[in-house]
Amino acid sequence: MGILSILIFLPLIFGVVILMMPNSLAKYFKYINVAVSLVQLAIASWLYFEFKTGEAFAGVNQLAQYQWVEKLDWIRLDAGSFGTLQIDYLLGIDGFSIGLVWLSALVMLIASLSSWEIKTNLKGYFALFLLLNTAIIGVFCALDLFLFYIFYELMLLPLYFLIGMWGGVRREYAAIKFFLYTLLGSIFMLLVIAGLYLSVIDPETGNHTFNMVTAMNPANYSSGSIFSALANQQIFGFSARVVGFIVVFIAFAIKVPVFPFHTWLPDAHVEAPTPISIILAGILLKVGGYGIIRIAYGIFPDVAISASFWIGLLGVISIIYGAMNALAQSDLKRLIAYSSVSHMGFVLLGLASLTPEGVSGAMMQMISHGFLSVMLFFIVGVIYNRVYDRDIYNFRGIASQMPIFTGFVMIAFFASLGLPGFSAFIAEAFSLIGAFSSQSLNGLLPRWMAMVAALGILLGAGYFLWTLQRMFFGTLRLKKEEWLVQLKDLNVREIITLTPLAILALVLGVLPSIVFNATSFSINQFLTLFK
Amino acid sequence: MENLITPYIVLCLALTVITAPFLVFLLSLIVKKLAPFFSILSISTSFIASLILFLAVWQKQTFHFAFHWINIGYTKIDIGILLNDLSVIMLLLISFIALLVHIYSLEYMRTDPLKHRYFAYLSLFCFAMLSLVLADNLFVLYAFWELVGFASYLLIGFWFTKEKAVQANKKAMIMNRIGDIGFLIGILILLSHFHTLDIDLLFGTGDLISSSFVKGDSWISPFGIMPSYWLTIAGFCFFTGAIAKSAQFPLHTWLPDAMEGPTAVSSLIHAATMVAAGVFLLLRIAPLFNDVVLTSIAIIGLFTAFMAATIALTQNDIKKVLAFSTISQLGFMMLAVGIKDNSAAIFHLITHAFFKCLLFLAAGMVIHQLHHIKKEKALNFDEQNMQNMGGLLKLMPITGFVFLLAACALAGLPFTSGYLSKDAILVSVFEFADLKGGIFWLFPLFISITSWLTTFYIFRVVYLVFFGNFRLSKIVSIPKSSLNIHDPNPYMIIPVVILGIFCFGFFFAYNPFSLEISWVYKGFNAPSHQGGLYPILVPVYINIMSFAIIGATYLIYSKQTVKLNLQNSWMYKLSQNQWYFNTLYDVILMNIILFKAKAFYWFDSKVIDGFVHLASDLTLSISKIAAWFDTHIVDGLVNRVAALVVQIGVWLRSTQSGKLQHYFIWMLMLVLSFMIFKIVV
Repeated sequence: MGILSILIFLPLIFGVVILMMPNSLAKYFKYINVAVSLVQLAIASWLYFEFKTGEAFAGVNQLAQYQWVEKLDWIRLDAGSFGTLQIDYLLGIDGFSIGLVWLSALVMLIASLSSWEIKTNLKGYFALFLLLNTAIIGVFCALDLFLFYIFYELMLLPLYFLIGMWGGVRREYAAIKFFLYTLLGSIFMLLVIAGLYLSVIDPETGNHTFNMVTAMNPANYSSGSIFSALANQQIFGFSARVVGFIVVFIAFAIKVPVFPFHTWLPDAHVEAPTPISIILAGILLKVGGYGIIRIAYGIFPDVAISASFWIGLLGVISIIYGAMNALAQSDLKRLIAYSSVSHMGFVLLGLASLTPEGVSGAMMQMISHGFLSVMLFFIVGVIYNRVYDRDIYNFRGIASQMPIFTGFVMIAFFASLGLPGFSAFIAEAFSLIGAFSSQSLNGLLPRWMAMVAALGILLGAGYFLWTLQRMFFGTLRLKKEEWLVQLKDLNVREIITLTPLAILALVLGVLPSIVFNATSFSINQFLTLFK
Repeated sequence: MENLITPYIVLCLALTVITAPFLVFLLSLIVKKLAPFFSILSISTSFIASLILFLAVWQKQTFHFAFHWINIGYTKIDIGILLNDLSVIMLLLISFIALLVHIYSLEYMRTDPLKHRYFAYLSLFCFAMLSLVLADNLFVLYAFWELVGFASYLLIGFWFTKEKAVQANKKAMIMNRIGDIGFLIGILILLSHFHTLDIDLLFGTGDLISSSFVKGDSWISPFGIMPSYWLTIAGFCFFTGAIAKSAQFPLHTWLPDAMEGPTAVSSLIHAATMVAAGVFLLLRIAPLFNDVVLTSIAIIGLFTAFMAATIALTQNDIKKVLAFSTISQLGFMMLAVGIKDNSAAIFHLITHAFFKCLLFLAAGMVIHQLHHIKKEKALNFDEQNMQNMGGLLKLMPITGFVFLLAACALAGLPFTSGYLSKDAILVSVFEFADLKGGIFWLFPLFISITSWLTTFYIFRVVYLVFFGNFRLSKIVSIPKSSLNIHDPNPYMIIPVVILGIFCFGFFFAYNPFSLEISWVYKGFNAPSHQGGLYPILVPVYINIMSFAIIGATYLIYSKQTVKLNLQNSWMYKLSQNQWYFNTLYDVILMNIILFKAKAFYWFDSKVIDGFVHLASDLTLSISKIAAWFDTHIVDGLVNRVAALVVQIGVWLRSTQSGKLQHYFIWMLMLVLSFMIFKIVV
């Protein structure tokens, strides 16, 4: 049993334990949950410190260069003339996944800490929560497409119930919308995965394989197979590889979410309870970005190059479109949900540039947005759990009432709008540097894209500063008299939750090399796929 | 001295300059009681270190330290310190003025319950501003550029319960962001073209910018080729950054609003230092600009100087007049940059920092006094409105005297520092027009008019505030003697007196009429003015007119023997309403953007989500048809078959009647039919 398996299945075991515990012990569930997340964070941190960097540990399309690899024969089925059905239990970590694994562990801890607000049906909640935890870490570690897909779909189930049962007023609508949206993408992806299976041959065993690292090497495609680059097979008159790329891209683009596949996000966020919003924004969106990098770009690099312009364009549209929508909101949570669309656009733009700067910026943005969005949604939760209202117009001058809280709000807002010194600035700057220099380096993106995307930063300042001024500054005026009593400043648990996030945003903003060092060799290796 | 100052010591000193305020920023938020003490201590340390650095570097050598920070692909970004003439003189200026303002603030903020926060923010500002001038590459410079904006945001909105203040700081931040985006795009262009952002490499000893050239339609650098228009775009991008930070047209409207902050902040940040950062940036990267950009800088500078001066003529809020005066003076500096007289720009930046800071601090003293009266007597009047002042020279002699001194410097009268620096710009403008000819003669024409307008509006303030009758006692009908207005205590007096000394021209040139021997001006490769008549004629002609104007303002505002009835003219209204820019921006532009945002949201919730709902409705309808088909056709068929079987069963069952006769008949029929079958076949 390797360390990654422990990391993945620890929550599952405790989920089962919670299921078996009597309801009389329900008040301890949240502590068990936090303890599991703490252990996971400790393991993930250990992994991060032990993570070796260098050209020999780049990973990406070299299985031998992955770290903590676990490979077990999982399913071997003699399928007669089709050969042996080979599904491996294959886990491993490289520069693209290490940061996200650590981020997931952190976000799960924060979400656990904010699960205090859950009051009903605790057993069900925490069992599902821990199942979700397993699935999330599993997604980032799995290197076998089949295993990846299982974890990927396994995330949906608990999320559906967590939103649909513990959510807000329109929770069922939001839950089903979220579920169908994501399922729609992943069903078609399953077809592509099956196609890949039939095309890729494991050079060691000669069987067809789901191994995604093997699938990144064009030499492993059997001649004449559907996704073989040489065979140039057609589906509905389009090149099979182009169709495969587009299907996979859309499946993950829904998760990111990219315009125009984003409308599940505001609804899901608004209806989800705070911890689930935190997980949605903090990790789920990154699964989309990770999938695009690892599977869509990694397996179909030839198509990715020719699609780069359009992907960059989608990124730019998301940036501007998300920001403009955020500007029109009066519900604080919906505003932040739309700001996520805008910020995740930078991931797409940076990635589409296919330059080291751009891809580094995209990775940085994923991690940075990971904990900044967590901070933002936690902040909304703080207000909502006190007065069950989050309409910006119903508050004014909270700063005099809740000074510590306002301090954290300012850090979160200014970090999110890209103030230098915070991680988002580095991330956005490098995405833009990559996008802008792409024209000179590889000619993929026109220069105006970076310039238009920069406008998104301006709009970001618009909605965040407006919210600050409208909601937090000015003379104290609240919609209802009793809110004055209910709006207490942060308690210790909340301060403990927010402080590390604020520090993290600052540390990564000042010392971005912490992330860049871990990712740079993998990114260089990744970019060789496109040469 | 040179031998004592090793590079290592220089580095330590430079780090001291910036870390001292930063530590205090953190410390002030924790140890609240001692915040003012720590702030003074740290800024004094910074000042002393800056002074030593100045002595070591000025006109002697350049130090450049760089430390590895980020390295991705070809992008290498270092964090480093560049100490040359420009940076050390800025360091000295900023730390010195900041020190004086800190001392002044001790008294100004004495009773504020959030004093520790004020000093923390002020220290943050000093840290960012001092780092900005030290930064050795544009990326780091940009970071601190935004950080000074952030500190200014915090300080403008320091009284965060004041609605106007928080509106103003939002406006300042957003307008500055527009400039920041320009700056950022400029950085992107340079980085992608030169693969470095190091100021020394680009514009200093490395001189990469000169090794690039425009040939035909291409801009060629050692690393690549771009279409030539990117050179112009790059220039405009950086200029946009400077326009926003230095409050130039069309992004100037944030500065008058920023006066909602404490007056000490206005004097340090919004008059002396931060707003000059735009000019500083242009000076740092001056070799980048081509003729198109330079001419645009000159035009914008000229227009801003003129426009702001006309607005300052009619404002009644003393801080508003000074704010527009700052905008106007920054326009002068921009103009100097545009006509390539960088040394005049930096010279005017320095002299302006002293006298404008002094004007604000002195105005703050007046406001502070009136504010006390207002609180003491529970009166209701606007303590910043000059119509409530008058005759204060007798009541507050020191304040009045230093204000008058600074006003003379602003007007550029002989023996003052302004005489030297402003005339340096004016002379260059005349020479520039002489060289270019034709329409460029509009430059000296308008800059002369602006110069006279400056004299007019500042002496209007002088006479309205310090001469004539004390109007407030009439307005609130309390005798002057019981209002108890006096010069404030030494915490405020000492800084302004020191600033007052620096308004004299002697400090910058031992012969206060000779620009050529001025050490600051000479220090920056000043263009030589020898040979022409302009250096002699221009100051004379400007000053003769200025004295006439001072006389006129005396008659109008002090003696009030001459009455101006212009209140209803369109020019007065244009000026009073600040050329209607606020209306244009706040009402029209903001509404357009908000309308667009709403339109986007409509599109999102109706069109895109509508499409999703349509798809789901369509699926539901199809599923309903399928369900109908299933229940009625498929299941109908199944049921029909089942029913048939049942019917057959029922019919068959009827044969099982249990009567022997029936069975017999059945048997008979069966045998008979079998036999018939056999016979037939």
